[in-house]
Amino acid sequence: MTRQFLRHGWTAGLLAILALLFVFTKIIQPDFGTSGLDSLSRAMLPFAFATAAMAVVVIAGGIDLSVASMMAVAGVTAAVLMDGAGDGMTAVAVVIVLLVGLTMGAINGALIVITRVPDIVVTLAMLYVWEGVALLILNGPGGSATPWLRELIVGPFIVPWLPRSLVFLAVCLVAVWVPLKRSKLGLSIYAIGSNDLAAYRSGVSVGRTRIAAYAVCGLFAAIGGLTLTMSTGNGEPIPGPYLMASVAAVVLGGVVLGGGKGALLGPIIAVIILRLVRMDLTLLSVDPNVTTIVEGTIMVVVVMFGGVLAYRGRHK
Amino acid sequence: MRKLLTQVAAVALLAGGFVGSAMAADGYTIGISNTVQGNGWREEMVCAMKAQALVSGKVDSLNIAHRNTDATGQLEDMRNLIQAGVDAIVLNPSNSDGVNAAIEEAIAAGIVVVAVDQAVSAEGAYVLSNNQEEYAYLGAKWLFEQLGGSGSVVYMRGAAGAGADNDRDTGFKRAMEEYPDIKIVHEVFTGWQQDQGKQQILDYLSTGLPVDGVWTSGIDNVIVDAFIESDVPLVPIVGADNAGFVGQLATVEGFTGAAVTNPGSIGGAGVTLALQILDGKMPESNTVLVDPSIWANNDPEGKALIAAAQNPNLDPEWPVSVQIPGWTDYSMDEIIACKGPGE
Repeated sequence: MTRQFLRHGWTAGLLAILALLFVFTKIIQPDFGTSGLDSLSRAMLPFAFATAAMAVVVIAGGIDLSVASMMAVAGVTAAVLMDGAGDGMTAVAVVIVLLVGLTMGAINGALIVITRVPDIVVTLAMLYVWEGVALLILNGPGGSATPWLRELIVGPFIVPWLPRSLVFLAVCLVAVWVPLKRSKLGLSIYAIGSNDLAAYRSGVSVGRTRIAAYAVCGLFAAIGGLTLTMSTGNGEPIPGPYLMASVAAVVLGGVVLGGGKGALLGPIIAVIILRLVRMDLTLLSVDPNVTTIVEGTIMVVVVMFGGVLAYRGRHK
Repeated sequence: MRKLLTQVAAVALLAGGFVGSAMAADGYTIGISNTVQGNGWREEMVCAMKAQALVSGKVDSLNIAHRNTDATGQLEDMRNLIQAGVDAIVLNPSNSDGVNAAIEEAIAAGIVVVAVDQAVSAEGAYVLSNNQEEYAYLGAKWLFEQLGGSGSVVYMRGAAGAGADNDRDTGFKRAMEEYPDIKIVHEVFTGWQQDQGKQQILDYLSTGLPVDGVWTSGIDNVIVDAFIESDVPLVPIVGADNAGFVGQLATVEGFTGAAVTNPGSIGGAGVTLALQILDGKMPESNTVLVDPSIWANNDPEGKALIAAAQNPNLDPEWPVSVQIPGWTDYSMDEIIACKGPGE
């Protein structure tokens, strides 16, 4: 029981912070209700997928700086393919976008494995490559999104307080993450992140696993890009502010930057916290130049607090 | 833990009291949404919004969402402003179609929505915009005329993919069609960033390739600086009415150039329009376009306008057109102070 609690202590702590934040939000804005939850849920979609993408590669001991650019490529690809497409063709477009994401991720991973250049350098270079690709596909905001696809993330699901966008997020994450984590590949991803030499000596194909981890990252980034197009109704070639936000949420969510430790639930709760903080700062009319300082400070304080708890836990 | 909870509750109650008192007054609350931070033009726009809200006497508080983000981030900001219960939202849209969903939700919630600087396609929104296509056309036409209809031009655009950049590109291309012998020898996106634009022109000048004229999308004074620093003879340069560039037009010897007006104070005008609508004074049309004018330092009229616009108190990146007659009421000092209601 105690071990279970310690293992999930970080996530439980994040949930407690989230609950307090919801109470705080309700106090400063008594009208906060179902529409507020819906706004919050829709706002977190792209951040959540970017964070999931980043979490997978960080667990594998890497980092992908091209997440936001891959999202832009996926977003504009979706917008171009869906422009004037019928309902049936939209499904094909979605499949193509997901394949594009997998391919981009796999290319990132393959380059890292083949060239042996550090992840941070390769993905930094690929950030510019994918940014250019997005601009080649669409040099300005354009294209469109099929209405039924957009409807998937609008309004409530069965009960008024459950946003469809949250269900969409949960379904996508569970569909990819649960089978992956329970598979041999999932175990290998944790293994190479923890100690790639030990993983290699245990018979894990380090190179192939790394490429697969980056491909999954590309897949999540593609879904994230798709949600951008679903939200706005068109494609934007300029990458949004998802790179640093995803790293922040991953760290805040309890994934160790060195790799091998963490899961998706913590980072996703961290995303909700960060979006809710942003909402509260807007509700409080805090000076916009101060909001980023507040957001950064919260991150540092929470991570430091967690570090202290972890240290004390180890020394008891 | 109990102590911590007590403290959090105390902060929450304080915050609740603060918001409650803000809401108790009978003036309007106006929300502002802007997606480019740290750019002189946009900063002037936000300061114009603050100053106009203050001098109008009708605004209790401004709720400002001002950060670097994309259309999806702006959707989030606008939905947060709806949650905050503002009476009107004045926004500089990230692109013309991408934020329609939140605009429609705001209008459905009874909130007045005014888009400034760039247009939006959502029905029911009011648009008060600088005519970006005309902005580029005027400057490009002047430049091509200076070159006698033929020559090598460096085309320094804004941010790739931005709506205003696309509109300006349309205007630039329209002028190009009228002067078929003009050759674009180098086309770059400055991202509307001074350092990036300067590096790009320095890189080009160091190649020694020909340049007869430069068209810039508002990253201008650093381009003149780069020519001077590189010891390359100055060529005709088109920029915006930014204080630094307008200063160079008046003082740099042997420099021929022109500034096209693009007032950042359109933000203040947007606040005025929102207040008029809230007071029941509806405009004749949902869209009002502010046409630019050109100030060239080689014609007497332009020279006089440039001389009159000199203002050493302004940040070099701020447009000198700090007021729009009929739309803004604040003084020069008030916009420079950049204080809104309650600050």
